[in-house]
Amino acid sequence: MEVPTVTQAIDLEVKGLNFYYNGNVHALRDISLPVQKNRVTALIGPSGCGKTTLLRCFNRMHDLYPRHRYEGEILFEGRNILSDKEDLIGLRSRIGMVFQKPTPFPMSIAENIAYGLRLKGITNRTELAGKIEQALRHAVLWNEVRDKLNHSAYDLSGGQQQRLVIARALAVEPEVLLFDEPTSALDPISTGKIEELVAMLKQDVTIVIVTHNMQQAARVSDMTGFMYLGELVEFGTTEKIFTAPDKKQTDDYITGRFG
Amino acid sequence: MARQKEQDIEALKERVLKMGSLVEEAIRKAVRSLVERDRPLAIEVIDGDAIVNALDVEIEEECIRFLALWQPTGSNLRFITTAIKIITDLERMGDLAVDICERGIELLDEPQLKPYIDIPRMAEAAQKMLKDSLDAFVAGDDELAISVCAADDFVDNLNQQIFNELLVYMLQDPKNISRAVRLTYITKYLERVADHATNIAEMVVYMVKGKVIRHMACEIRPEPPKAQG
Repeated sequence: MEVPTVTQAIDLEVKGLNFYYNGNVHALRDISLPVQKNRVTALIGPSGCGKTTLLRCFNRMHDLYPRHRYEGEILFEGRNILSDKEDLIGLRSRIGMVFQKPTPFPMSIAENIAYGLRLKGITNRTELAGKIEQALRHAVLWNEVRDKLNHSAYDLSGGQQQRLVIARALAVEPEVLLFDEPTSALDPISTGKIEELVAMLKQDVTIVIVTHNMQQAARVSDMTGFMYLGELVEFGTTEKIFTAPDKKQTDDYITGRFG
Repeated sequence: MARQKEQDIEALKERVLKMGSLVEEAIRKAVRSLVERDRPLAIEVIDGDAIVNALDVEIEEECIRFLALWQPTGSNLRFITTAIKIITDLERMGDLAVDICERGIELLDEPQLKPYIDIPRMAEAAQKMLKDSLDAFVAGDDELAISVCAADDFVDNLNQQIFNELLVYMLQDPKNISRAVRLTYITKYLERVADHATNIAEMVVYMVKGKVIRHMACEIRPEPPKAQG
């Protein structure tokens, strides 16, 4: 597939990526796309098209399951992160992920954030407290939780839990954040807050978001890729994809004729 | 639900087409009322404009409703935005038909200045442009739409030619001036009809191709498929 000329710096570059799971199920077919720095890239497509599979390649989440195979490259600062020698713990702290359902740890709000920081070797209490506040402010949650940092994370609403998870990911200062349908389990108000947050966060991090909500993709992203049956059908600026896509298949999907 | 959306689009398309055919009819009758000096026909056109105005408002409301309900994207989005703009042009053309009738009624106070030959020709060309632009809209035919844009020059030239001719009448005898000026108004109205048809055609190109060709010099526009004249 032809990829449009890009002027923005590229953070992650997917080159001829094929992915197989369960030994031989060919889930991604020859995908190439640039993920631009400090931009939001959205992946859309019907269920089973491979968008989440692609997202999970970016921080090697598939490695948690056996019998998978990558072919091709994903370059991150010029280095192929699909290499066997890649330090996965290090990679995942630089490329964080936020899931569909909020996944707070069964501990206090503050501890949820301190967890990743301790893994990074930060143990000084004052430094920890400072970084916890910073992360919670960054995720626009601080004002809602500042008086109950020691309460269980499960006491928070779904939308707050999702922002806590984002704060947790931000605390370790990642360069890229992957969002896998981050608002599909949230009400419209919480969804709006997450979307605002995504727009704000792109100043500091590069974002890739998978969403079923096409209006959401149109609102929050700068670049959009439409995937179907494991292939990247079309990739371009969000404005182009949602107003005048080149491929009929893309138009049929975004206008709701199939999918 | 997706079927409902397609049905809404089809229904909107039919409404725009209905409005378009009313406007075509109004322009045809307006020119006939002028040529045949038919006052009742002119009054019929003037009264009929209310229906076109009502359709303008109704179709716009339906388009807004569609935007709110479906948040359309891609070709559906381009269709709706095109429809909203087209009806504005159609409504103006309806007003121009009324203007032609009003000038025609004023001209009835005096004998006919000259035989009308070029004005019906000009009207015919403008009406063909309108018809073609609407056909292009319905069929999503961008080539037909581009040929409409190209035909506009013919109408512009005819307008200039008629103006020069009327100028001679005015220079010959000042008593001709009031009639000649009204006739130049009428040719200007017809020239505007052709401009509105061109606007519609340009929007159709956007609707089909997603490319804006408005305000582009003809030289850099896509070539029309066949010679026009």
